[in-house]
Amino acid sequence: MRAPLPLPAAADGPAAGGRRPSRGARTWQPVLVAVLLVASSLCALSLGTPYVPPHRLAGAVLDGDTTLAGIVVTELRVPRLVLALVAGACLGAAGLVLQEALRNPLAVPEMLGVSSGAALGVAAPLVLTLSLPAAVQPLLAIGGAALGGGLTLLAAGLGRSPSAVLLTGAAVAAALQAALLVLMVMADQLDLHLIYRYLLGSLSARTWDDIAGLWPWLLVAVPALVLCAPVLSVMRLGDEDAEALGVRAHRARLAALAIAVVLIAPVTAVCGPVAWVGFLAPHLARWFNPTAGAVRWLPWSAAWGAAVVTVADVPARLALAPVETPAGAWTALLGVPAGVALMRSGGRGRAARSAPGVGKALHGPRTAASGVTDEVPRAAPDDARREEAGAGGTQPPPSRPTGTEDVR
Amino acid sequence: MTRRFMALAALAVVCAGVELVAGRGMSPGVVWDVVNGGGDATARHIFFQLRLPRLLVSLGAGACLAVAGLVLQSALRNPLAGPEVTGVTPGAVLGAVTATALGLAGWDSPLAVVLAACTGGCAGAALLWLLAGRGRGDPAQTAVHGVLVSAVLGGLTAMVLLVEPGELGSVVQWLVGTTEGRVWQHWHLLWPWALLWGAGAWLLAGPLTLLRCGDDIALTAGLSVRPARTLALLCAVALTAGAVAAVGALGFVGLLVPHLAVAVFGADLRVSLPGAALVGAVVVCGADAAAQLSSRLPVPGLDAGRFTLPVGALTACLGAALLLVVVRRTPSRTF
Repeated sequence: MRAPLPLPAAADGPAAGGRRPSRGARTWQPVLVAVLLVASSLCALSLGTPYVPPHRLAGAVLDGDTTLAGIVVTELRVPRLVLALVAGACLGAAGLVLQEALRNPLAVPEMLGVSSGAALGVAAPLVLTLSLPAAVQPLLAIGGAALGGGLTLLAAGLGRSPSAVLLTGAAVAAALQAALLVLMVMADQLDLHLIYRYLLGSLSARTWDDIAGLWPWLLVAVPALVLCAPVLSVMRLGDEDAEALGVRAHRARLAALAIAVVLIAPVTAVCGPVAWVGFLAPHLARWFNPTAGAVRWLPWSAAWGAAVVTVADVPARLALAPVETPAGAWTALLGVPAGVALMRSGGRGRAARSAPGVGKALHGPRTAASGVTDEVPRAAPDDARREEAGAGGTQPPPSRPTGTEDVR
Repeated sequence: MTRRFMALAALAVVCAGVELVAGRGMSPGVVWDVVNGGGDATARHIFFQLRLPRLLVSLGAGACLAVAGLVLQSALRNPLAGPEVTGVTPGAVLGAVTATALGLAGWDSPLAVVLAACTGGCAGAALLWLLAGRGRGDPAQTAVHGVLVSAVLGGLTAMVLLVEPGELGSVVQWLVGTTEGRVWQHWHLLWPWALLWGAGAWLLAGPLTLLRCGDDIALTAGLSVRPARTLALLCAVALTAGAVAAVGALGFVGLLVPHLAVAVFGADLRVSLPGAALVGAVVVCGADAAAQLSSRLPVPGLDAGRFTLPVGALTACLGAALLLVVVRRTPSRTF
């Protein structure tokens, strides 16, 4: 069960897609990640109001708190950079775990109500002016996140089709959002600014203390992540195959959700829901290396998450210079279109290769072929036709091939 | 059918009555006095300058949203289309917020707000159109894409609000949708717009009913599909923009009320379009009355009068619950 199964997953996955990147893209991935990380780290450390040229950074750090540049770099910029890296890595890994466990390319914390729940857990004591010790805050965030995610999965049922889970998640997220807005309406002006900035995911003015609060959770989450990665790559074969291989699918899925919650909630408690990183990072990892399994994607997804947050933090800090914009707004603006484009470029190749079904992006072969888990196994084309038939009381002719619509 | 209309109209009257007496300011007895021509100046002011326009605005906005939702669902043949999930509402919010932040519009020039909201709504719909392709694929997939578009537009709105934080307090209320503090100005702006586009939707009811049956049938019946659909979409966007400019983004009204209306009045839009308007008015007005009643409840931990429930929060929770029921009850469908 622990052994990473080599590649039966690849035969089923998005492997032989029409537009898969060439071998070159795979070898470029480490270079690209490294370049992005280094460049954005340098920008994060050196640009800003006391401009510290890159070659003097080391000197500034060694000076410590004797010079202004030293103080700014060690006390403000380095913790911010570290926080961006850690938060991005956590979100990226959590996104991959969620997507693989639910076998759903759109299962992101934002759409499952996890982020909204965590935000609610953090914002409520702030508005209701309850004074709580700082150590409780991550616990509240975790409680909220587990509430949101659990509610979604409970309401949707675990083995349902991806879009059912997503729509349920959208409903739960909307309800939590409404509760949050009620809190915000009750808040006074100062609290309101604080909450609003926090809700968008901001990395400004975080210090070493905030980062120190993250470590205990990471100590729990990282070993669990390492343990669950091989199970994830079995899970994507479909529940029946996974159970035949000795994985208790439902239990594994719940464990994966718990890990994702433990990864997301502390990050959300510190810097707010930095939106859509958990969506973009796994898709980037997959696009660059479509034949690998979850074990290989996991570190890359974390790396991409770190890169995305670090890159987004640079314009967040500098774009509208005296005012800081929240990093979450930038990741939402850039992440969603990019992620959708990646998903479509992967999905279209697959759809063209497989049956002319409807399920292009949402129902790739691995979801369509094994979308029904506990019930009767259905064939994929049949499933697809039923999807179109679900379109409403009045129906289109069922046999229309969707591929032509893309061409038109 | 007439009986159903009568029943709904009676329900609307009841909701309106509850809404008029539900507020915190004065007791039902005083309201009765004012209606009979008595009451002191304050009571008269509260009744005629605050409660009446609020009631009318909530009725009008509900009707607008419901009609817009029904038109969208029919034109796109997608049961999950609605102003909220097709990017129209978030786009309209973005347009209005941007125009206010740039100083092009404000509460002193409400028409500009409506126009900006309209432009934004069109932009949001166009964005979804680009993203989801022809918009006629899998309905659930289009809805999911719509949620993504909403996320992008929400991010943009947030950026604008953070750059121009001056009116954050009032805008937040508006983001969730509230009828708090609506006065005659809002109503005077809402009704001509709603009447104009509502009449347009009414004229399109026949073609829309054909469009519900599918493009092929509509073509065979002699309808030129493309202009009809474009006009219908324009109508829906304009109605949504009017409602958003008046009360803000009321959650889920435009998505779920049309289903209710179709269930009650059938799929012939010539009947169910006015029906949807009525149902929407009832729902929003009733939710507003419930929200006002609930703000009278004593809440532990808060001083009295601080707890106000925006009507949008109530409709969002209600709609979320309904959506959950719908998703759970239709296991064979994919949404």
